[in-house]
Amino acid sequence: MRISDLEKLKNEGVENLPSHERRSFLKFGLSVTGVFLGGSILSLTSARNVQGAVEVLPPQAQKFPYSPHYSMVIRQNRCVDCERCKEACAKTNHVPSYGYRTTILEMARETSPGENERIFMPVLCNHCNRPPCVRVCPTKATFKDEKTGIVMMDYKKCIGCKTCMAACPYNARYFKEENRAVDKCNFCFDTRLASGEKETACAAACPADVRVFGDLSDSGSRVYKLIHTPEKVAWVLRPETGALPNIYYMND
Amino acid sequence: MNIDQKGFAGFLSVLALAGLFLVLVGGQAIGEEEYDEDTYGPEAPIVFTAPVKAVIFTHKVHTMDAGLECDSCHDEVFQMEIGSAEQNDDFTMQSLYDGKYCGTCHDGQTAFASNTRCTVCHIGVKGFDRMQGGPKTDAHGGGH
Repeated sequence: MRISDLEKLKNEGVENLPSHERRSFLKFGLSVTGVFLGGSILSLTSARNVQGAVEVLPPQAQKFPYSPHYSMVIRQNRCVDCERCKEACAKTNHVPSYGYRTTILEMARETSPGENERIFMPVLCNHCNRPPCVRVCPTKATFKDEKTGIVMMDYKKCIGCKTCMAACPYNARYFKEENRAVDKCNFCFDTRLASGEKETACAAACPADVRVFGDLSDSGSRVYKLIHTPEKVAWVLRPETGALPNIYYMND
Repeated sequence: MNIDQKGFAGFLSVLALAGLFLVLVGGQAIGEEEYDEDTYGPEAPIVFTAPVKAVIFTHKVHTMDAGLECDSCHDEVFQMEIGSAEQNDDFTMQSLYDGKYCGTCHDGQTAFASNTRCTVCHIGVKGFDRMQGGPKTDAHGGGH
């Protein structure tokens, strides 16, 4: 039967449908809904319900979950995109030219009619308290270090499925051909912190003191003091994902 | 039409002609003054790459637009020879805060202070690469 013929038929209404047909139709509808529900529960993407305001800690947390609780404050308006941080990171962590562990984004904002302000925004792994990348990794190759909260990689376990790359809200991961594994920022844990250095390579290389690295649970640290300065506005990137990032941004 | 009316009409047409002349010549003078390199300095922007990459300076903004003379800066604040300031060890932000180089005027009084509005002059590696023709791609291989 052609569609044009169907259109000529009189609408019979649903009251004349046999109950068996109605039931099977409802069943079909329910199974479709079920697929959607299951899909969002098992979703490999980072999309979640909007959580509204920035939660610094999960509601039930009474203290910082890690010690030291590594964090970085980025004083955005001081960045001039000299990219010494990128160079230092690549050199320290053997980052190939086609990838990055940290980079600088560029934006323009109109400050008044005809006048634009250039903004450089350093980005890196946010070492989230609820990392979407860790949640989706099928082999537990990426994990949250229980002591420091650093999101780390076990390269030997990585099968290169790149699901973590899709899940990361911050685009902070790349596939490193040399390792046949995904690589990412680990706050220079193996290359600097383990040997007693107090700062990451990027923070140490910054000539403008943009990146301040430290222990957020230590009230004497610079990161703690910056975050707890009442007159300063601090923000995080993509708070709506509910990932609870540990990279904070502020101006000066 | 009597003589008085004729005279008035002639006066009007002269006025209209004069007005047209003013609009044509005046408009050109206000709208598009030729950039003269002998008066205003080299037209091509100067890009400093040391000590950090990269800082842009345009003569036009400072001379033609802001009204500075050549000897406002040359040769006491900056040598005319290109790249000479970058060879000095004290060509740093601290020197600017101390009133040297750009800090001679960029002190918050004559012009905006050197420790504010960083990205007006700092164009970064990205700005530098754009000037060299085409930005480098910096995506993770475009895989997502």
